[in-house]
Amino acid sequence: MRIAVCRPQVPFAHGGAEIFTDTLVEQLRARGHEAEIVSVPFKWYPGARVLTQAFTWRLLDLTEADGRPIDMVVATKFPSYVVRHPEKRVWLVHQFRQAYELDRSELGQFGEAPEERALRRKVQELDRVTLGEATRLFATSRNVAGRLERSTGLVAEVLPHPAQALAYRNDGHGDFVLSVNRLDRAKRVDLLVEAAAADPSLRVVIAGDGPERARLEQLAHARGVGGRVRFAGRVSVEELADLYATCFATFYAPVDEDFGLGPYESFLSGKPVITATDAGGPLEVVRDGSTGAVVDPEPAAVARAAAWLRDHPDEAAAYGRTGNAIAVEVTWERAIARLLA
Amino acid sequence: MALRREEDGAVKVALFTPMPPERSGIADYSALLLPALRERCDVVVAKRGGKRAPRGTDLCVYHVGNNPDAHGWIVEALRRTPGVVVLHDFVLHHLVAGLTIGRRDGHGYLDAMEREGGVVGRLLGHAVLDKRIPPLWENRPQDFHLAGEVLDLATGLIVHSRYVRDRAREAGYGGPAWVIPHPAFPVPGGPAATVAGEPLFGTFGNVNASKRVPQLLEAFSRVRRGRPRAGLLLVGAASPGFDLDRRLQRLGLDGGGIEREGFVDESRLWALMKAADVHVNLRSPTMGETSGTAIRALSLGKPLVVSDVGWFAELPDEVALKVPVGEREVEHLVVALELLASRPDVRDAMGAAAAELARREHDLDRVAELYVAALEQAAGGGAVADAVLGDVARAAAEVGIGADTPEAAEIARRLSEVELGR
Repeated sequence: MRIAVCRPQVPFAHGGAEIFTDTLVEQLRARGHEAEIVSVPFKWYPGARVLTQAFTWRLLDLTEADGRPIDMVVATKFPSYVVRHPEKRVWLVHQFRQAYELDRSELGQFGEAPEERALRRKVQELDRVTLGEATRLFATSRNVAGRLERSTGLVAEVLPHPAQALAYRNDGHGDFVLSVNRLDRAKRVDLLVEAAAADPSLRVVIAGDGPERARLEQLAHARGVGGRVRFAGRVSVEELADLYATCFATFYAPVDEDFGLGPYESFLSGKPVITATDAGGPLEVVRDGSTGAVVDPEPAAVARAAAWLRDHPDEAAAYGRTGNAIAVEVTWERAIARLLA
Repeated sequence: MALRREEDGAVKVALFTPMPPERSGIADYSALLLPALRERCDVVVAKRGGKRAPRGTDLCVYHVGNNPDAHGWIVEALRRTPGVVVLHDFVLHHLVAGLTIGRRDGHGYLDAMEREGGVVGRLLGHAVLDKRIPPLWENRPQDFHLAGEVLDLATGLIVHSRYVRDRAREAGYGGPAWVIPHPAFPVPGGPAATVAGEPLFGTFGNVNASKRVPQLLEAFSRVRRGRPRAGLLLVGAASPGFDLDRRLQRLGLDGGGIEREGFVDESRLWALMKAADVHVNLRSPTMGETSGTAIRALSLGKPLVVSDVGWFAELPDEVALKVPVGEREVEHLVVALELLASRPDVRDAMGAAAAELARREHDLDRVAELYVAALEQAAGGGAVADAVLGDVARAAAEVGIGADTPEAAEIARRLSEVELGR
């Protein structure tokens, strides 16, 4: 089949959704399909720009390319699913969250003026119409599916996607807790920095880059944890696998995350995960006392959980093994079979 | 309307509606919904008779029903400041007659009739004024809905059924319309009333011909021949001229089987509703209304028998047996009553589906959320549409796509597909 995988692109930003779609294309090609990323730059501000940029997708004609038909499009996150196609499948990574659960929170975008309230509603209406056109609708997690159903009434099949291909291995119980995330506010990496400040015995490695990096580095400096918190930046796949292999646990506690690849990657390396009670998607696989620690989103609680896992290597290893059994079940073979069925 | 300031906070809505202690289904509806709306936006209820919205109001919302006493002042306020209309009845003939003939404004009535029915309408209007024919609002209001003026003034329309939305579209209304279910009433505690009947059918509301009471009595009398223990509970005031006693006598129902109560207060109504095994809620002709008593039946988890018209026809088959109106109406009604009398398992399944429907579709918070979504779109949607269209039009013009080109038409079509057009 000829399949166009649609994703919006925020220029110069690269994160889990990009890794997911790149890998999807590779995996489709490995199974004999002609697959290609179709990407359109996305800017969601100011004002009604979120709608006009989304509308750009509607003007694309992806029914054929170079005189040959495109059999299917697979749209992923807002606003790529605004695209038209008779065989539009949506594997929903997330909707435009500012119009939903992030509204009126500090991560929200829309003010109280009538035109801003109406703009938010218009985004919701756009979702209802364009997601409703999908011939099949999948969501990467129960969390994403639940939000979708609550907000639009549309029911999606839950289809988690596998983690990126790394040389996952477990080199034993190391001496640091690892965070792998794009550094933006919603990922709450500052909780981990503050946890290191709360427990002077804690060592931390933060992999990833993003708009919050400078603030986080300043915070680490201000708290005097510079020597124990290392900012590794954007690392190579080899280095990432090494970090997973040598940490004693990972920290992954975004606010109401859609899905979260972090726990799967951690489990594939046999490492437990520390997350927060309000982390959303990760809670579908991170279970307290089974595959990791689920704590209040407070630095002291994170510090306590990290210290406990560091000081209890047998339990940490057992949690990692339990998590591993979950993660290995999520394969591209199964995911693609369902996606294309 | 006064200019809005950013610090004014949430969208401000002025609500023009009858409220308790006024006795009307729409007053009950507004009282039920108001607290949930106030949790989500800034709502001020206009004083009865008021014609202006308070300063700083973003949007006026008018509840319009067919009763001129309850809604006349609301239509007058709507004439002054157009806004969102919550159209509880589609047929407004009685309202318009009250606002015109009722105020010695025969010309107004003639104009309304002409607007809808052309010259024939005007001539019929004359015939009514000259008392040559019976009042049309009594005999055939459905043939002349007279909703045109209200629809013209509406900047947005909230309705409870697809039926009313479609009728409004047929009547030429082209603005935004939202179908929002009637909220379910919370079921009060307290026992069911003790009423004889195995099973007990119940019908609640005015006792008259448009509630198909003659057909129901006829059908029930036939069912009772084979089921002498069956009962029919008739609750509600009889309309003037509806001779119930004579009908009961003629059908042999004056000796038993009928439990009769006139107008009852809310708590007695609920107790009686709880007692009935099956709720019968028939209607024809329909004015496009939603039945508050049918909504109560859903909340109570009772199986329904309804007429296959208007809003009633949109109830899912799992919760309601639908009886076509017409020549064989009584026969169909007998079959429906017989089925529910003989199959307690069907009654239970339908009742469970009814309760689930009330919980899922008519949940008060859900309805309030849909309302606020509609009101927010109504208040700011025009500005958003302008901004989107302006942005797209500018981009198109910059690359030489003129307004009347096929490319512009294609863009307009795509905008319309995703409801971003005007």
